[in-house]
Amino acid sequence: MTTTEPATRRDWATIPARIAERAALHPGRVCLREKRFGIWQDVTWQQYWANCRLAGYALAALGIGPGDRVAIHSENRPEWLYTDVGAVAIRAITVGLYSTNPAPEIAYLLRDSGAAVLVAEDQEQVDKALEVEAQCPDLRWIVYLEPRGVRAYDHPKLLSWTEFLERGRDHAAAHPELLDRAAAAATPDDVVTLMYTSGTTGPPKGAMLTVRNVDFATRTLIVDGGLYDPPPTDSDVVLSYLPLCHVVERAATEWCNAATGSTVHFAESIDTVQANLREVQPTLFFAVPRIWEKIYAGVEVKMNAASPLKRAVYGFGMRLAARIGDELVRAEGSHTARTRLLYALGYPLLFRSLRDRIGLRKVRVASSGAAPISPDVLRFFFGIGVVISEAYGMTENAAVATANRRGRVKLGTVGQPHSGTELRLDQRTNEILTRHPGNFAGYWRNPGKTAEVLDEDGWLHTGDVGAWVDGSHLKIVDRIKDVIITSGGKNVAPSELENSLKTSPYIKEAVVVGDRRAYLTVLIGIEPDTVGDWAQRARIPYTTYRDLTEKEQVLELVQAVIKQANAKVARVEQIRKFRVIPKELDHDDGELTATQKVKRATLHERFADLVEDMYANRKDRPGGDLVEVHTWTS
Amino acid sequence: MSVTTEGARRRGAGRGRPLLYTSYAADQAIWNTPAKRVWTLALLVAVLALPFYLDRDLTSLLTTVFVYAIGGIGLNLVTGYAGQVSLGHAFFLGLGAYTAAVFGGEATDDVVGLGLDMAIWLPLAGLVPALVGFAVAPLAARVRGLYLAILTLGLVFIGLHIFNEADSITGGAGVGRAPAEPVLFGVDLTTRFELFGTRVNRDMVYYILCLVVLVVLAVAARNLTRSKWGRAFAAVRDRDVAAEVMGVSLLRTKTLAFTISSFYAGIAGALLSVVVGRISPNTWDLFLSIDFLAVVLIGGVATITGSIMGAAFVVLLPRLVDELSAYLPFISGHTGEGFLSVFQLQTMIFGALIVLFLVLEPRGLYGLWVRVRNYWKAWPFSY
Repeated sequence: MTTTEPATRRDWATIPARIAERAALHPGRVCLREKRFGIWQDVTWQQYWANCRLAGYALAALGIGPGDRVAIHSENRPEWLYTDVGAVAIRAITVGLYSTNPAPEIAYLLRDSGAAVLVAEDQEQVDKALEVEAQCPDLRWIVYLEPRGVRAYDHPKLLSWTEFLERGRDHAAAHPELLDRAAAAATPDDVVTLMYTSGTTGPPKGAMLTVRNVDFATRTLIVDGGLYDPPPTDSDVVLSYLPLCHVVERAATEWCNAATGSTVHFAESIDTVQANLREVQPTLFFAVPRIWEKIYAGVEVKMNAASPLKRAVYGFGMRLAARIGDELVRAEGSHTARTRLLYALGYPLLFRSLRDRIGLRKVRVASSGAAPISPDVLRFFFGIGVVISEAYGMTENAAVATANRRGRVKLGTVGQPHSGTELRLDQRTNEILTRHPGNFAGYWRNPGKTAEVLDEDGWLHTGDVGAWVDGSHLKIVDRIKDVIITSGGKNVAPSELENSLKTSPYIKEAVVVGDRRAYLTVLIGIEPDTVGDWAQRARIPYTTYRDLTEKEQVLELVQAVIKQANAKVARVEQIRKFRVIPKELDHDDGELTATQKVKRATLHERFADLVEDMYANRKDRPGGDLVEVHTWTS
Repeated sequence: MSVTTEGARRRGAGRGRPLLYTSYAADQAIWNTPAKRVWTLALLVAVLALPFYLDRDLTSLLTTVFVYAIGGIGLNLVTGYAGQVSLGHAFFLGLGAYTAAVFGGEATDDVVGLGLDMAIWLPLAGLVPALVGFAVAPLAARVRGLYLAILTLGLVFIGLHIFNEADSITGGAGVGRAPAEPVLFGVDLTTRFELFGTRVNRDMVYYILCLVVLVVLAVAARNLTRSKWGRAFAAVRDRDVAAEVMGVSLLRTKTLAFTISSFYAGIAGALLSVVVGRISPNTWDLFLSIDFLAVVLIGGVATITGSIMGAAFVVLLPRLVDELSAYLPFISGHTGEGFLSVFQLQTMIFGALIVLFLVLEPRGLYGLWVRVRNYWKAWPFSY
């Protein structure tokens, strides 16, 4: 092992080095909190670093060395970070697996990455690993965090977290200098993690991020305030709830925490996010559009059930919010005297309590990314004083590309390029290209795919079609592969239409169909919570999800939403027909990716009967057009 | 965890996040949110300042409220929390009053009195009834419901008879005796003195004294109800068989409830005698018991705060009716004539209120308060 440059002259820092520094400066400060047995349990910086070191030694004890892969299959929890940081501390590579990944995908990911150690959260994940263990020749150890149910298993590769740390302790006693040596030997080109892209098309590919990538992203997004402006401090509070294997959550939870000392709170699960939000009241909040939409829909549903006085106040507050929202949009997100006055009027009446209930009362920076968000949802949050800035980035460029800055927010755009980021549009295809030190090192063991996205000049081909707005802000049109060309030759970006449909609290999924067809149609997935609630209040009896989707009134509800969305677009872009998907889409069934994105190809294939029903002018499946709706024809 | 961690937590990410509990103690605290702390403190300060702005008779009336609240809390512990209906509360109040009178009162030709300090007679006024309650409890623990009501009813009548006959202690029927002397740590509380340029009279001193005793006893009761024993009370109330199956000893739990309740009643009785002045044995009759039942029912079953609200209601309502009677033509008050006397009206309103509360809001005034609070707490939602 050779050191490329002396440690003293480094202008970069690894995440473990940043954590070690914080632990030395503020050993007693709270760094992480995890809710266990109903109480938020504190983890101090000292404990955090000690655990990370121990995990590093333990991995070394299991034979992990520089460049070896360690897979983590767990929900967000401190042990996730201990393992990740520990692995990086001994110059190994972390591979995050989504907890929703089914066994066949686990087999693929373990085989592809060649992970030697798997840290599995509980019995569910251990079972998946054991099921496919025979297909993964490189897998030597499975470390489980929750012993419940697994304790009785008798398998030579199984190891409990406690035993794992015990080995680490022994190893640390035998080789105390191991971590320091690894830290000294670290180079900016060390790969620290493989982030498997969600793979809406084809199998997932492992994007290699290096120390340099992570360092650049940390500096640009966090320390220099690219994403969080003004930059976070140690009084900031973060809720960690999106999968840590995703680049955004890793940045928001681990990198931001290590670089600025913000306090991370781990949500109990994705289902308890709203309750946890209320408790934690984070100051920095990143969410994917799905979460923002869900919060918005939740407010609507709860207000429908509120008393008349409360509804009246809410109605009044929303009128204020609409004005504030519009004015903020015009003023690019900075307050004017008028918005301040209106906000001061609505604050004691509604905004304070509403923001408190949804857990956003203390949010100072809110951002959205990973998918396009509907402007109407943004307007709502603007109105109640939560200015969301949309940001753009992807795993392959360590999430560094563009973001809307404070006071320069343009609705419908993803903002301006970060400092140190070169960004241009391909002259022929308008594809967005980025170049900066955060561009990934390539796909793991896949030079062919790497060459497709990373050219010789170092430009990353994102696969997104973009357009400039006012010469400064970038607007994402759609994925190149998703753009629909109708048989009339018209190019349509489906995501815009789909998002305007998804603004409605009743619509969960919308997939526009129409490639090489005469007109556009849409497959709709309804939101069972809100539609169910609506049906109950409209006294429409129903049994299952499927039954709900086949109710005439529900179809009329969907039809009204489509008509509304149609009103905003040109005639050729209007949707003519729709069918309702008779089941809830699920990751396990291969319809959604691990990040809950719709896999279009699979959907087209699986629900080909619905699509055919529309284009063959039949009415065999529940759905309708703009004039009438129909349920089953007997 | 070290002290520095605690400090860091407050500074870092604890403030302004009332729902972010980092310890069970914070989660279970009586004043678990800053808002509750602030409002309780503000209320306490306001109540402390009140006598300086009120007439003497109103001050004395509010003192009676505090005393009733103490007794009400005692009855609520046994009836509301442990579910043992007791009509014998008046007996224990009387017992407390006479214990105080014997230990703290002046001896005369007719009655005995030791003239001890209040620091001695006040605790004794609680302990003696508690001992009697402890002795009676095993009997009471064997029966429940209506039978228990009858048994405790018997207690009142036995008590009345004893009080009437024991001349040397109570002064005898129709005569009565002077209560205990309020001399605390050698300081006679009946003398006037100056404080910060304000004249402090006897009523104000009593007021503060009773308030302090109430706050101490109320917090103690609240803590008791949150403890293992408090949960045992509730278990026995909700289903005694199930509680016993779970290992809650019925005899022990009921005995404890009776003993503590009697202690509270004794203290209330002693303070009441001091506030009222001269006490006659007939004071401690069934109607007094019913007054306290009204405190519990109107205030709210199984709440400490409710008992205080109920006491305020029961004590202040007659005065309110009295004041209003001047404006109501059909009431024959002190001056005019109508077909109802003030006292009749009071009794009728009382009866009607108890019926209404039982039917419409079984959790009493406290239940009303909780409804109002929840309405605002959920704002702008309804749940």
